Amino acid sequence: MNTIEMKDIHFSYTEKEEILKGINITIDERSTAIIGQNGAGKTTFVKLLKGLLRPNSGKILLNGTDIADMTVAALAKDIGLIFQNPNDQIFKNTVLSEVMFGPLQMGMSKAQAEESARKALEMVGLMNMEKINPYDLGLSDRKLVSIAAIVAMDTKVIIFDEPTIAQDYMGKERIKKIMKDLRAQGKIVISILHDMDFVAETFERAIVFAKGNVLLDGDVKTVFSQKDVLEEAYLEQPSTAKLCHELGYGEIFLTPEEFIAMKQKEA
Amino acid sequence: MKSMSLYEEKHSFLNKLSPITKMIYVVAAILIPAFAGEKMLAVGFMIFSMLLLMHSKVIRRTFPILGVSGFVVLTVLIIQGLFRAGNETVVLDMGPVAFYKEGLLFALGIAINVFNIILCFCVLVLSTKPSDMVEELVRKGFSPRIGYVFTSLFQLIPQMTDRMSTITDAQKSRGMETEGSLMIRMKAFLPLISPVIMSSFIDTKERAIALEVRGFNAKNKKTFLNESTKIPVDNVIIIILVVGIVCSIGWRIMTWLR
Repeated sequence: MNTIEMKDIHFSYTEKEEILKGINITIDERSTAIIGQNGAGKTTFVKLLKGLLRPNSGKILLNGTDIADMTVAALAKDIGLIFQNPNDQIFKNTVLSEVMFGPLQMGMSKAQAEESARKALEMVGLMNMEKINPYDLGLSDRKLVSIAAIVAMDTKVIIFDEPTIAQDYMGKERIKKIMKDLRAQGKIVISILHDMDFVAETFERAIVFAKGNVLLDGDVKTVFSQKDVLEEAYLEQPSTAKLCHELGYGEIFLTPEEFIAMKQKEA
Repeated sequence: MKSMSLYEEKHSFLNKLSPITKMIYVVAAILIPAFAGEKMLAVGFMIFSMLLLMHSKVIRRTFPILGVSGFVVLTVLIIQGLFRAGNETVVLDMGPVAFYKEGLLFALGIAINVFNIILCFCVLVLSTKPSDMVEELVRKGFSPRIGYVFTSLFQLIPQMTDRMSTITDAQKSRGMETEGSLMIRMKAFLPLISPVIMSSFIDTKERAIALEVRGFNAKNKKTFLNESTKIPVDNVIIIILVVGIVCSIGWRIMTWLR
């Protein structure tokens, strides 16, 4: 089983302002959503996980080994991070070679890399587009290319930074499916998100960041039932949970499907 | 927003002056000594610029600038002092080489001019927001297109360095080593530079559309977001400076005619 342990992590960019104030989290195989207001420290948190930033104090252990001595490139074998903006990474002139870049960097042979890339492209639903130049694709497809590029590296941990930006319903459904498939393969899936409905429908665990601290941490249902605490972090409940709350139900439901199933049972 | 500039708001006298006044000061500080042909005037302007910078509490920011140019001036001093054609009077004999008075004086003249120009530009640059300066110029009839090019430069360069570091992070995250031997660095060049160029193209296109949507090329007379900040003292200073420039030119013509 894969785990990431963060022990008493403190981090600041400048001396005056501490961004993370002592984070203690153990991330396990449950898919985890990281939510919180802008500036709460979410992106900093994942950059620390990925080794792009180093904590001022505290330890990060991946399956028990400290990542402090590993370079980012070495960590890339274990932890994949998909950046918000796909344009920050795409540079090859075909989709296939772009997706093959990561696996080749990790030392796979050309044949292995191509196989891995094709599998990843199939997973994100771009298998017919391997010869296209990524910049001829729309932004949402380009985002899928950047996801495939990381999936192809077959890392134990995959972190998504705001995957649902600029995605329509179809795109979101596709990303949801990718995340669930990765989870089924036993990978740790972590994602920063602002779309609460998406979190409710896709994730098992939610961690709420507020002002550099962890405000709430638990399974999605428990987290989203605490309306008052969420409001303190300037967050909304998912729509269905809001509806349950407004209707005065004691128990909340996270997705329309659950809610309907409950109603049908009642009737 | 981050911007590439040496300017710092200190609410000083210089900050309050209009950019135009400070620009005329630069012109005066360079032209008056040149026309009058009197080095002492340049020294005077130098001291005056320093006093202004001290009063604005930005004198410390000039030290690195002066340091770099000081090094260049020092090499001039050595070369001219040793080898200038027409060197006759020895001031300092150091065995195989000797410094000559003529060369040293010539180099001193250059040094005074260089430091005078640097200091008067410091007065302008350290106390004026670049965008204010460009806006003031556009107000005075400078082409808004060129003005935009200047202001956008101050924002684009920091933006691109930011972008560059995000891209470096993104490629490192995909297992690309960016540090180490020359070979590794050369291999890393393409994956790093291509996204920068591609996204700059995309940005440029969108920026152009965004500007056009807001009527950048509209033919009618445009208004300005910020009001002109001229204070009464500005006019007094401008008059004094312009009179100074005219007088120095007059003086030069008179000496020619004589």
